[in-house]
Amino acid sequence: MTAGEIRLGVDVGGTFTDVVLTRDSDLLGAAKVPSSPTDYAEAILDGALRTLGDNDPARVRDIVHATTVATNAILENRGARTGLITTKGFRDILEIGRLRYPRLYDLTWVRPPPLARRALRLEVAERVDNQGTVITPIDGGECERAARRLVREGVESVAVCFLNSYANPAHERLCGEMLEKYFPRERISLSVDVLPQIREYDRTSTTVINAYVRPLVESYLANLSTELGEAGIQSPVLVMQSHGGIVDSASASEMPAQIIESGPAAGVVAAAKLARNLGLERVISLDMGGTTAKAATIEDFEPHLSAEYEVGSQMSWASRLNRGGGYLLRLPTVDLAEIGAGGGSIIRVDAGGSLHVGPQSAGADPGPACYSRGGEDATLTDANVVLGYLNQDALVGGELPIDATKSRRAVERQVAGPLGIGCREAARGAHLVANSTMVRAVRSVSTERGRDVRTYTLIAFGGNGPVHAAEMAGSLGISEVVVPPSPGLFSSIGLLTTDLERHLSQTLIGIVGEIDAARYSTALDGLESRARRAFKSMGHPWSAVETKIELDMRYEGQSFELTVPAEGATASALRKAADAFESEHERTYGHRAHDSRVELVTLRFVGRVKSASAGAFTTRAEPPAAPAPRPAYFGRGGDYETTEVVTRSALRDSPRPGPLIVEEYDSTIVVPPGWSATCDASGNVRLVSAGGAA
Amino acid sequence: MTKRLDPITIDLVGHALGSIADEMALTIIRTAHSSNLTNSMDLSSALCDAKGRLIVQGLTLPLHLGSVPDCMDAVLNRFGDEIRPGDVYILNDPYDGGTHLPDIYLVQPVFLEDRLLGYTASIAHHTDIGGKVAGGNGCDATEIYQEGFRIPPTRLFDGGQRNPWLEQLLSRNVRIPYQVLGDLRAQIAACHVGHEGMLGLAAEYGVDALEGYFEEILNRTERLARHEISRMPDGEYEFTDYIDDDGIDPGPIPIKVRLTIEGDSLTADFTGTAPQVKGGINSVIAFTKSTVYACVRCVMESEMPNNSGYFRPIKVVAPEGTIVNPNPPAAVAARGLTAFRIADAVFGALAKALPDKVPACEMGGDTGVSIGGYYPNGDSYVFLEFLHGSWGGRPFADGVDGCASTIVNFSNNPVEMIEARQPLRLEAFGYIPDSSGPGKYRGGLAILREYRFLQDRGILQLRTDRYDHLPYGLAGGGTGTPSRNVLVRDGRSRKIGGKVTIDLRRDDLYRHAVAGAGGHGDPMERDPAAVLEDVIDGKISRSHALKAYGVVVTGGRPRIDLEATNRERNTRR
Repeated sequence: MTAGEIRLGVDVGGTFTDVVLTRDSDLLGAAKVPSSPTDYAEAILDGALRTLGDNDPARVRDIVHATTVATNAILENRGARTGLITTKGFRDILEIGRLRYPRLYDLTWVRPPPLARRALRLEVAERVDNQGTVITPIDGGECERAARRLVREGVESVAVCFLNSYANPAHERLCGEMLEKYFPRERISLSVDVLPQIREYDRTSTTVINAYVRPLVESYLANLSTELGEAGIQSPVLVMQSHGGIVDSASASEMPAQIIESGPAAGVVAAAKLARNLGLERVISLDMGGTTAKAATIEDFEPHLSAEYEVGSQMSWASRLNRGGGYLLRLPTVDLAEIGAGGGSIIRVDAGGSLHVGPQSAGADPGPACYSRGGEDATLTDANVVLGYLNQDALVGGELPIDATKSRRAVERQVAGPLGIGCREAARGAHLVANSTMVRAVRSVSTERGRDVRTYTLIAFGGNGPVHAAEMAGSLGISEVVVPPSPGLFSSIGLLTTDLERHLSQTLIGIVGEIDAARYSTALDGLESRARRAFKSMGHPWSAVETKIELDMRYEGQSFELTVPAEGATASALRKAADAFESEHERTYGHRAHDSRVELVTLRFVGRVKSASAGAFTTRAEPPAAPAPRPAYFGRGGDYETTEVVTRSALRDSPRPGPLIVEEYDSTIVVPPGWSATCDASGNVRLVSAGGAA
Repeated sequence: MTKRLDPITIDLVGHALGSIADEMALTIIRTAHSSNLTNSMDLSSALCDAKGRLIVQGLTLPLHLGSVPDCMDAVLNRFGDEIRPGDVYILNDPYDGGTHLPDIYLVQPVFLEDRLLGYTASIAHHTDIGGKVAGGNGCDATEIYQEGFRIPPTRLFDGGQRNPWLEQLLSRNVRIPYQVLGDLRAQIAACHVGHEGMLGLAAEYGVDALEGYFEEILNRTERLARHEISRMPDGEYEFTDYIDDDGIDPGPIPIKVRLTIEGDSLTADFTGTAPQVKGGINSVIAFTKSTVYACVRCVMESEMPNNSGYFRPIKVVAPEGTIVNPNPPAAVAARGLTAFRIADAVFGALAKALPDKVPACEMGGDTGVSIGGYYPNGDSYVFLEFLHGSWGGRPFADGVDGCASTIVNFSNNPVEMIEARQPLRLEAFGYIPDSSGPGKYRGGLAILREYRFLQDRGILQLRTDRYDHLPYGLAGGGTGTPSRNVLVRDGRSRKIGGKVTIDLRRDDLYRHAVAGAGGHGDPMERDPAAVLEDVIDGKISRSHALKAYGVVVTGGRPRIDLEATNRERNTRR
């Protein structure tokens, strides 16, 4: 990177658009502006110009962008009118999905409408078997008739998914050629391009999502570039993908299914970068905002990826067992456990006498009772105000005045009264219950895979993460917490530390030892040449690209795979990978199956150009005046105790014991008794538990 | 327990228990071999206190909700005084703690030094358990001895030592020992996870305190359940639904239930239900209770924890010797069918108490298809799957088309996974138009599935129903359409019975239609716009729109002729 180059990180969320501006390793500016859903570019431009100030827009090298535009299009049913062409006899695969409903015992569930309605799902006679052998040849004329019918129906974007096409793409390709007579190429999504993997519903759903959001994402990115260009910012726009790598706009437009979970991925990638800088090999990231908390695991500086994700699935249960409510995307996605616990989460007591926090949320409007915007419900933020953890007069560095007496009244009325306990115990209870639901989420992404969380470090960010982090870590047996600078802007800063990445995959099923090594290397070569083309078009020489081969493997007969690294395309590399699989299986599930053979299911190829950014930025923001001490309550049979309140800059590398509260513009760090706080040279606050496990 | 427990800690212990139970269930899902476990999640996990009372269940399957208490009773009866660290008990005998032979239960005591803290348990449906038919779901057995390998409460591990004979016995008695043992290993791993979790809780909260918390968790759940029941209108509500037959003797087989809601308690009395039958569809009492628990839970609004406190206000009366509480040696393997019908009857009765909440009859997982045989090299294959239809029309919305039963929530097997593993090719899977019970809110559509058999020889075994007695409608809604089975051989199709075992030959095509679900409310009140949407999507035909709903759809591009529709509807009122 040339010295003095300016970069912009832009994170568009549902409520706010965060823009940060960096020069080398300095954070020069940040802006939080209300998102503009009718034309997201408006808020982005506004934020960009504000942070630029006097800097020359022509000097912006690139813009890294996380966006919810694709997700929102799906959730709000604003995507393209989408058609699907599929194998005769199977047009309802998309709608029936996995058959399951998301919440047990719920008789009121209504399935979200399929993204390609039944009238626009057309069948053609064709069939290949699982070996790729053609059973029923395809008729090009029938494909053309289907294409004409879709044109007549006003379809804007078409998905094609045939059974077993992962084993032989010929029929889809031929259908695609016929479609090209009637639709522009960029309005056609073939499942063999989007996801050449086994499991027809997964492949169909992913391809249809791609087709559904493609026109919208394409015009959105084109429009954004134009508007930025008119303001003098002519630098390329790079887009965050769900797996945490970035791509250029052209690739994102072609494969928009990859950018669905763009926003949440950014925070986890930022945490991974921070972990690398600090040399932390095992990390759990906790991003807690106003409505939800998201947890992820990071090992060896890489976020864990999940093989699939459901757009719009309900996340009211901490349990991840019940799925099926949303639109399935079978693409590598940063593995997040998201639960409805944030500052705005409503506290209530049920008829049995149990206390619940969330998933219902008071949102930003009316918000917590203390906001005085008409909210009557006690929220988690109200509980934290009652406990003295949050400032009693105003939040967001003084910009949001609050009324602490309203918090007390709400907690008294809705929690303390029904439980027959005091107000502070009730607030404390809500705080702990929120922690325990987050603990459940953290466990689901860690111990589910056989990991021992006690050996992990927690990286906490988002407006509310640092309020809850230390005690939550304690109940997980975690003894160290890191809170990065500007925790509320951490995700958008993280965008600027991200690597350029392409992930490609292909199903190729066979028993290790029996599979024809030539087939394996041919398939791998195919993936590599696709990756080469992709990076070439992004302007990166292949010599600059780091590559990684991974294999999805399982024991013969199992239905789920584990992903393990592989060295190359030789028989011995395969055997080595099979050994790695067996070790990982033992690590994850506690046993090896000595009598079972190992089966290869899917090849994965990852190409990556590492970001030049060191991942640490120094801010020049002046600290506000030191706040006065206030009473805070930490339970354990004690009383409210006068607790010192400091700013981050007051912390040094010698530990300050809790209880202590660190107030900053965009967050508050609570250091409970038994914990101590230091601040390292990069501005990270480190919280350490005196006794290890609490 | 005189000291008042901290209410918050009770919540925290409850969350921790839920988390452990989830981890146990996930362990099975991730490590099991059979798709019935990994895809359909036909499994459960549980923790019990030192007295054997269920304190949490990791549920993926509502129908397992009441099956742990009877299992624990059986284990405690057999081993009560000799339970020691390192033991793991196994059972599957439906007359001694189980519900049918393919469901294997494992129970492991949790000790902290010499003190018994509780138990961890896992339940999994295995793909084969021996017996006369592959898949362990045959309904043509007439006594339990034909149904497979029967395990009374036995030690699988004795003080930490694996019982090698038992595994060998098991593997000699099943068709696919490799899969069964693999799935059993997954269950052991789950129990291990539960064991460690409970020890962790003891370390955090202390052994004595923990007992108090467990007790209070049960009490709280009981209070919540009683609160919910007390909101239901008092009264007696009766309903009878029917199973066509048991595959051996002519039917029908009535399932009669009388629900009595009195204050904060509820009784489901099955007096008047048919005597036990020869075929394997008898439901042991534990399973009957489970079904009632699952149905009642569906009409409650609170988030109810899964523990035995919930069972306390609910009483199930099932006379001995009936199909809902059979005596040995009645065959029980295919009792799932009866559970679905029990649920239909219980929901029918609940609808009388709660007409605004309860849907018309769904088409649950009645259908079980198993295909088994041998490859030319002598290796055996077993294919087993359960098919579901759709939800019934609801007082407020249409039934969901193509959705697992409300009481089991199975997922389906991907077609491509079946084809990659079995000598089968699927030729159709989707909705059957015009097949739902009409109503203001229509029932969900029937589902078609076709299997082409690609080996020389095999055996097809079916458990299907609803040929004669169709899914009922409510509040003026119509019944759903019947299910059917067809075999196409050499280009000629013939109807086959609902519960049959027949030989398959290469290229035979087996076609099954799951029944359509019942409708809710007067079809003449259905919004014409909703009828039009269904016509556009090909879910119903124009003639069906006219016949069932009195809606006249015209035009090349379908649109409603409102005038003609009003005329049509008026003549029918």
